[in-house]
Amino acid sequence: MLEISHLYKKYLNSERFAVEDLNLSLKGGEIFGFLGKNGAGKSTTIKCLTGIYPYSSGSIKICGHDIGKDPINAKLNMGYVPDDHSVYEKMTGGEYVNYIADLYKVARKDREERLQKFLVQFRLTKAIDLQIKSYSHGMKQKICIIGALIHNPKLWVLDEPMMGLDPQSMVEILKRMHEHCEAGNTIFFSSHNLDLVAKICDRVAIINDGKLYDVIDLHVKGNKETLENTFLKITTSEEDMQ
Amino acid sequence: MKNIYTLLKLEFKNKFGDFSYKSGKSWTKLIATLFFFALILLIVYFGATTVFHMFDKAGMAYEALVILFTVLFAYLIISGTSSTVKVLYYKGDNEILMRFPVTGAQIFVSKTLFLIINQFISSLVITLPFMFAYSNVVDVSAAFVKMVPVVIVYLVLIPFFLSNILAIPMMHLTNRIRNKFIILIIGMSLIMSVVFAVYMLIFDKIITFLRDSSFSVFSEEVVAMIKNVVQYFFPSKFFADILLEQNLLLSYGVLSGLMLLFMGGMIAVIAALYQKTLLKNIEIEGSAFKRKTRMKVRSLNATILRKEFVQVFRSINYGFQYFVMACSMPVMVYFCNKIATSIGRNDIGDQISLGLTLLVMLIFMTIITSFASTSVSREGRNFYQTKVLPVSIHRQMGIKFLMYMIVSFLANLVCVGMLVFLKQMDYLTGLWVFGIVQSSAAALTLYGMRMDINKPQFNLSGEGEVVSNSANTTGAVALGFFISLLEGMAAMVLAYIATPQFMIIVCSVIALLFFAISLFVYFFKMEKAYNKIAK
Repeated sequence: MLEISHLYKKYLNSERFAVEDLNLSLKGGEIFGFLGKNGAGKSTTIKCLTGIYPYSSGSIKICGHDIGKDPINAKLNMGYVPDDHSVYEKMTGGEYVNYIADLYKVARKDREERLQKFLVQFRLTKAIDLQIKSYSHGMKQKICIIGALIHNPKLWVLDEPMMGLDPQSMVEILKRMHEHCEAGNTIFFSSHNLDLVAKICDRVAIINDGKLYDVIDLHVKGNKETLENTFLKITTSEEDMQ
Repeated sequence: MKNIYTLLKLEFKNKFGDFSYKSGKSWTKLIATLFFFALILLIVYFGATTVFHMFDKAGMAYEALVILFTVLFAYLIISGTSSTVKVLYYKGDNEILMRFPVTGAQIFVSKTLFLIINQFISSLVITLPFMFAYSNVVDVSAAFVKMVPVVIVYLVLIPFFLSNILAIPMMHLTNRIRNKFIILIIGMSLIMSVVFAVYMLIFDKIITFLRDSSFSVFSEEVVAMIKNVVQYFFPSKFFADILLEQNLLLSYGVLSGLMLLFMGGMIAVIAALYQKTLLKNIEIEGSAFKRKTRMKVRSLNATILRKEFVQVFRSINYGFQYFVMACSMPVMVYFCNKIATSIGRNDIGDQISLGLTLLVMLIFMTIITSFASTSVSREGRNFYQTKVLPVSIHRQMGIKFLMYMIVSFLANLVCVGMLVFLKQMDYLTGLWVFGIVQSSAAALTLYGMRMDINKPQFNLSGEGEVVSNSANTTGAVALGFFISLLEGMAAMVLAYIATPQFMIIVCSVIALLFFAISLFVYFFKMEKAYNKIAK
C-alpha cells in the first residue's frame, strides 16, 4: 500500500538531512503509527509522501504509483489530514466537500451517501451549510477528515490528528480509523500520544534525528507494554538525561 | 496611570514596532518614507494653491474654505469610525490584554488616547498644506494663523466623539451587509467610479484654469449655486468662520456645544455598550453566512475555476482590489483618455491621441493584472492543498490564469467598446488597441504569477489574506508601467515622426515579443520552482 525506499530529504540551506535513508512498507488493513519527538522528522516524512515537499533521493510508492513520477495516480489513492486543520474558510462545509469530491472524481451518488454518513457520525449536519470560518477548531478538523475520506482512499495519512480535539471528537476519529482499516485500507498517522498509539496501532515506527530506529509489531506479546520505555530509550539523548 | 502609559506604549510599538535604531534598513526606510511624504505634501500644497486661485478668481474664496472643511470633517468621521471599530472593538489584542492585570477602563483609555493622538497628527498634517495655500492665495489677517490650532482641536475632537457613537451601529451594519457580495461589489464600483469621475472633472477644471488663468472656470450660474449651497454646510462653515474671525460667538457656541453633546453621547454609549460589545464576539457575529449546498458534479477545470472565483469574490479585500478595479476601469479610462488626448491634441497634435489611449489603457490594465502577483501567496495556509490534490500544478495555475484572462478580457472589451461608441477611436483602431492591451495583460499576468511562484509571501495570521503590497506586486506594477510607457511612447513618437502604419507594426512587434518572453519566463522550470515552495 505504501512503500518508502531509501528516502533522503535535506532542506535548502541546511547541512544535515531531515530524513535519512528511511525505509518503510505498509500493508493493506493496518494502522501504522509514526512516533518521534519534536523535530525528529515525522512531519517532514509525511509532507514528502503527500507530495508537499520534494525529496532529495529515494522513492515513495502509493498503491504502486511513484509520488515523484506518477503523482496524480498516487494522490488519487491517498487522503491527507494536516496538523493545522487548514481549509478554504470562505466556502461552506458542503461546498468544500463537494470541491474535494470533484477533484477526486467521486460519483454524485457516492459523495452524497458518504457525506450523509459522515455528517451523522461527526455530528456536523447542522453546520454543513455554514461558512467554515465560523467553525470551531474541532469542527474544522472534522471537515478536513470528511474531505480526506470522501473518495474512500486506500491510504489515509493523518498528521497529529488528535491535537486540540475534545474527547468526543477523538472517539469519533478513532472509530472512523478502525472502520476504514477494517475495509482493507491503510492508515499512517503521526502522534505524540504513546497510549493512543499503543491502543490502536498494529505496528509503530520510531524516528529520531531523521533516522528510522525501529519498527515495532504491537501484536507481539509485551511490545505494547514496553512501548513507552522503548520510545524513551531511543529518543532520549545524553544531553536530555543531563 | 502607569498601566495606561504602558498600554499606550504597547499600542505605539505595535504600530511602529518594525523600526530599529540600530538598523540601517530601518533608517533608510524612514528617510525614504519621509521624503515621499514631504513630496506628497508639496504636491498637495501646489494643488490646493491652484484650486484656491480658481475659487478666488470666481469670488468664492470663503466657499472654497467651507468646502475644504466639509470634506475634512466627513473624512475624519469616516476614518475615525473605521479606526475606532478596529482599535477598540475588534478582538485581536483585546483578548490578550484582558489577561493582563489591567482593568477594562485602562485598556479603553489607552486605546482612546492612541486614537486621539493619531487623529490629531493626521489632521494636522492634512490641514496644514491647505492652510498655507489659502493664506498664500487670499489676503488673510494675522489671526488666521493663530486660529489654525484652535480649529484643528475642534476638527479632531468633534469627529472623534461622533465616531465613538457611530462605531457600534456601523459594526452591526457592516456585519449585516458583509456577505452581500454582489451588492458590495456593485456599490463599491459605483462609489469608486463616481469619486474618480468627480476627481477627473475637478482635474479637468484645474487644467483649463492653468492654461488660461485670466478667466474664471465657473459660470455665473455655478457660482450662484455653490454660494447658495455652501451657506447650509453646518458645522463646517463655523471652522471657516473662526479662521476668518467672523460670527465668532455663534461659531464657538455651536462647535463647543456639538463637542460637549457628542462627548456626552460617547460616554453614555461606552458606559452602556463597550463591555457588552466586546463580549459578543462582534467579528464573527453575522459575518459567516449559511447556504444550502447541493452535491453537484463539476469538471476538474470548472470546480477549480469556481473555487478561485469564490476565494476572491467572497473577500471584501480581494473583491475591491480586483473586481471593483476591473468594473471601474472603463470609467477611469474614459476620463483619463478624454483629458489626456485633449491636452495632447492641443499641445502637440492629433497624431499622439492613439498613443495616449494605449498608455492610459495599459496603465489601468497593469493595476488589474498586478493581482496575479499574489496567485500563490493568496493560498495562505491552504497552500499545502495545491500540492496534495491529484491535479497537476500546471493545470491549477492555468485555471488561475484563465480567471485573470476572463476578467481582463471583459474589462478591456468594455473599455474599447466604450471608446469606439463614444467616437474616441474608430472600430478598426479599437480592435488593434484591444489586441495590444489583451496580449500585454496576458504577458503581465504570466510575469506576475511567475514572480509569486518564485517568492510567495504567505500571511499565516488572521484570515490569511494578503493585505499589504508585496515586493512581487510592486515588481509587477513597475514592469507594467514600463511596458505601458514603452508602448505608449513608441506609439506617440512614431505616429509623430513616421507613418501610422509603421507605428502599428512596431507596437505590435513589441507586444508580441513581450508576450513571447513572458511565456518563456513563466514556463521555464516552473514546476521545479513551485515544488520548491515550502510553507
